[in-house]
Amino acid sequence: MTSLVLPVPPSRRLFAGRWGKVLRGASGVLLLLAAWQVSVPLVGLSAYFYPAPSDVVASFADLMRKGILPVYFADSMVRYGAGLLAGALLGVAMGVLIGLHRTVAITLSPLLKFLFAIVEVAWIPIFVVWFGYGFKTIVLALVYVVFFPVLYNTLLGVRTAPQILVNALRSLGASRLQVLRYAILPSALPGIITGLRVGAGFAFRGLVFAEIVAAKTGIGYLIFEGTQTQQTARTIVGMIVMGLTWLAIDLCFLRPVERATIQRWGLTVDAEQRA
Amino acid sequence: MNIPPPKAATWLGTLPFILVIAAWWLLPRIVQYPAYMLPPISAVLDFAWESIRDGTLLKNVLWSLGRLFAGFVIGMALAVPLGLAIALNRHVAETFRPVLSFLQAIAGIAWVPLTLIWFGIGNGSVIFVIANTIFFASLYNTVTGVQSIPTPLYRAVRSHGGSGFALLTNLILPGALVQLLLGMRTSMAYGWRALVASEMIAGSNGLGFMTMEAVQWQRTDVIILGMIVIGILWMLLDRLVFTAIERRTVGRWGLLQR
Repeated sequence: MTSLVLPVPPSRRLFAGRWGKVLRGASGVLLLLAAWQVSVPLVGLSAYFYPAPSDVVASFADLMRKGILPVYFADSMVRYGAGLLAGALLGVAMGVLIGLHRTVAITLSPLLKFLFAIVEVAWIPIFVVWFGYGFKTIVLALVYVVFFPVLYNTLLGVRTAPQILVNALRSLGASRLQVLRYAILPSALPGIITGLRVGAGFAFRGLVFAEIVAAKTGIGYLIFEGTQTQQTARTIVGMIVMGLTWLAIDLCFLRPVERATIQRWGLTVDAEQRA
Repeated sequence: MNIPPPKAATWLGTLPFILVIAAWWLLPRIVQYPAYMLPPISAVLDFAWESIRDGTLLKNVLWSLGRLFAGFVIGMALAVPLGLAIALNRHVAETFRPVLSFLQAIAGIAWVPLTLIWFGIGNGSVIFVIANTIFFASLYNTVTGVQSIPTPLYRAVRSHGGSGFALLTNLILPGALVQLLLGMRTSMAYGWRALVASEMIAGSNGLGFMTMEAVQWQRTDVIILGMIVIGILWMLLDRLVFTAIERRTVGRWGLLQR
């Protein structure tokens, strides 16, 4: 938005406007790729230590041809979706419950704080002992990551629901459920979305780690297995797919949802920086 | 993310802990299950006492904290100057923003397989992963921080005769610092996870290593102790370090929006 450079008249800019931004961004990506490709012969290490972009492209084509990448990708996304959905539902339910009952809040908050501090990463070993390697362990870990930010932000939303609305509904004879449906949940929604966004970010790294440790398919497994089998280019394909997937989730899903709920109501405070 | 402190009846908060411990104590007396699934409390306490006495627990904690600190310092030391350099030129900032967003998206644990090849098992790999996590989070925060400084402030400094250096020390550095500090809790939360996770895969000691290695021997007592220590350490870090820093800086400057 701001810079030390005084604004240049539009006609003199090489890349003006929104497309200029996109073009400049694309040139940054190309610059990085070029530097990587050029550095490979300079570094002079084997492809096992330092594969070139061309190796990675070949490996990507190979993974697509054999149908490995689509299957792994689908597996990862199913796990991620399931974990996110279950974690968010649990978080909202618990957040509403705690937000509406003071005694429940006082009773549960120390335990919840302690559980929150035991990060999901630390749960994975015991989940492995309890549930073995695979779907259950991974999804449980994701539920665990998403649950807490959604819970705390729902709670915040429920607590800040305008009392005047609640009173108005009550005096018009609304039932408890109606008060929840028409006053509390709508005002908690921006909080829920913020929580989901924060949780989604942590859950994405959590997914990759859980798949490294406890899976035999998925993007995380691809990243890990590549180096184990001396196919380092595969690892890098996995990392690139992971990064692009996150950017796509953020751009096509999280940001639009946030815009549709939070910003429209003028409630955006620091959702951007919390993510 | 804090539940407002309750005014009365704080003792209620101990109730769930007592219930959990009671359930844990009662469970083996009611249901039959293999002992390795959930060891009795006494086993965990015995192991805790033993590992405190012979110093292995403290050693692991210190290893982990040391790596976190090293990774944090390296990541910050690289990120802040580079971030300032990028942010001070809008064209450079716009050029590198997508690359940075991408690298931030893969920062952390996904690098462990590569670092295992490059540095082998041990400190090198773990510190690289933490520094990498902190670096990209802080770089992004620095760039955003500088860019969020309102233009009138630049003009104000300039019209009062502030030169390039004064601009840097009086406006740009403090402006970036706010965003860095506000983002620190989140970047450290990522860094902490990266620490535990990379120790589990690429460590030769430390809390993450201790917890994960125990899976092979089905030593659930070790796993549970590891989890509890990880939880307590994070709470202490949050309470004693991050909250204190926040209160002394952005809180005092009136910039905290919580």
